[in-house]
Amino acid sequence: MGPALSVLTAPTQIDSHVQVVTPENIAFEYRVAGPFGRVMALLLDLTVLLLLYGAIAIGAMMLLGALGLPGVGQFFALVGVFLLYWFYGGFFEAVWNGQTPGKRMMGLRVLRTDGRPINALQAVLRNLLRLVDALPWAYIPQMIADEYPIIYPTYLVALVCMTLTRRRQRVGDLAVGTMVVVEENSSFGRVPAPDEPGLEDLIERLPADFVPSRTLARALSHYVGRRRYFGPARRLEIAQHVGRPLVDKLGLPPDTNHDLLLCALYVRAFHEWQARESLDLTEAPLVPIPDAPPGDNPVSSTPVGSR
Amino acid sequence: MKAAELVESRTPQWRQLEALCAQLESRGDRRRLGANRRTEFAKLYRCACADLALADAHQLPGETVRYLHQLVGRAHNQLYRTRGLESDSWADELFERVPRRLFRDNSLRLAAVIFWGGFLLSAFLASEFTPVPQFAEQVLGKDSMMSLDTMYSEPIGAGGRSGNDSSAMAGFYIFNNAGIGLRCFAMGIIFGVGGMFALAFNAVFLGAAFGYMSTTPHSENFFNFVTAHGPFELTAIVMSGAAGMRLGFALVHTGGLSRLESVTAASRRALPTMMAAVLLFVGAAFIEGFVSPSGIPYAFKALVAMITTLLLLVYLVALGYSADEPDDDEQRALD
Repeated sequence: MGPALSVLTAPTQIDSHVQVVTPENIAFEYRVAGPFGRVMALLLDLTVLLLLYGAIAIGAMMLLGALGLPGVGQFFALVGVFLLYWFYGGFFEAVWNGQTPGKRMMGLRVLRTDGRPINALQAVLRNLLRLVDALPWAYIPQMIADEYPIIYPTYLVALVCMTLTRRRQRVGDLAVGTMVVVEENSSFGRVPAPDEPGLEDLIERLPADFVPSRTLARALSHYVGRRRYFGPARRLEIAQHVGRPLVDKLGLPPDTNHDLLLCALYVRAFHEWQARESLDLTEAPLVPIPDAPPGDNPVSSTPVGSR
Repeated sequence: MKAAELVESRTPQWRQLEALCAQLESRGDRRRLGANRRTEFAKLYRCACADLALADAHQLPGETVRYLHQLVGRAHNQLYRTRGLESDSWADELFERVPRRLFRDNSLRLAAVIFWGGFLLSAFLASEFTPVPQFAEQVLGKDSMMSLDTMYSEPIGAGGRSGNDSSAMAGFYIFNNAGIGLRCFAMGIIFGVGGMFALAFNAVFLGAAFGYMSTTPHSENFFNFVTAHGPFELTAIVMSGAAGMRLGFALVHTGGLSRLESVTAASRRALPTMMAAVLLFVGAAFIEGFVSPSGIPYAFKALVAMITTLLLLVYLVALGYSADEPDDDEQRALD
């Protein structure tokens, strides 16, 4: 299991992916959320919170005012605002499996650092400690109408902390051992069989016993999966790095379209039945006939058709 | 079996797992999901895990591997869920474990010393026996002094505050004072020094207010007002500051664990204390809203103060004393 475990995932990149080993002994990757996504979720949460404040305050005052108890209405309004202010985040993250309304809209989720779900204590505490993350408070005197100062939290402590930790954790996250991950909705990566004119011919001209190695196959799948985003000129530009040595190695004509060649090799690597079809033992495989007699081309010193 | 065939044959099951994930993610659909569908979900999840484990051996293309990562991650989040608020363990926590921890807590002792020491010193320095006559003015500021004067110029309860106003004020006190307590707590994480600072600040300010009011002609009104809710509120401030300091000191005094581990372990102990402090704040707010401003004789308010102090002693000492060490944390280890 040792060496297999290290190649279970894509080669490690310097990006925001964090590897987690689950109880099923699977190592998979989570993408941790950076400050921008989390700021958006925070702003959405603030909006929801303000709406809830308004709803509770107005609701309590109106309801109990109609009953002739405006003071009690104020009481409930104030208690409601207090509870919302301090325990909104903690309550939702405990009950909604690590999501608040703002996080849900942004597709984020709070998890423990080992991938397991959080419990209520962690949810409440990390939200209480947001007070420390909001430091320092900026105080700009006499901004509004030359009289009232502007006071707002700058969240610099949170930003610095997120930059310095590997899992983009703020102080509240560090204290309880959680992280915020992005829930990516899986878009199915079907193995696309490229459909290009001339592909079939090229596939038949490939040497029958040439099978791409593992790393080449992986590179081919990356290329074929992404090539639809590029224009034809760019595709050629990318493909030529692998295409040119392959053309030489396989003994194909030098004007072979490199992009087409990579697609053909991809089909060879991943769609077995097409390769099997052409491997008919009673019939010799088609070999391309070079334009120049062998020996003229100094690079391809191997006989045509062999690996 | 080549990759494409494998993907073709496994795709229906992956799609089904995806559909089940989508159903589990919306609360309405989740309730309607029957028992055998859920078992099926678990089985599909295990198969998907196996597929991912062998993805490299089967040389699946990069896109498919990425898809599997996301699918397994999504299903994992649905299979392992939070356990909600766990409210049935709260009574246990509040009346058994918290008092025992508090009885032995060093940061509570330190917080009490800082708060009460600062409070008494500040009250002395603001009173009429002070060697520093301008102390009250420098700490409180002229505006606060004037507002305190006007607030307590009338005898308490003479205005006949209605039940409505009392309720409203009680709500305000919950909002205000519990907020102060929670701020003391949160500040404590700054290596414990933040908590000490917040406690000391509050102590000096309150002490100066007390000392100053004792020099004015209407000091009777002031002490009439604050006596009833004093014990609960001041104890709650000390407890919340202590809880915060426990978090902060865990950063410094780790007891052999890494700093993060130490803070995580301390947070498990600190939060229930904070919640107990919030309950004390709520109690103090009710007393401050209903009992303190009323016109009942001072003897009754003093009685309320004595009863609340007795309750606090029972909580901290009688419930807190136990012959053996608190065994809370080891059993509930990393749950």
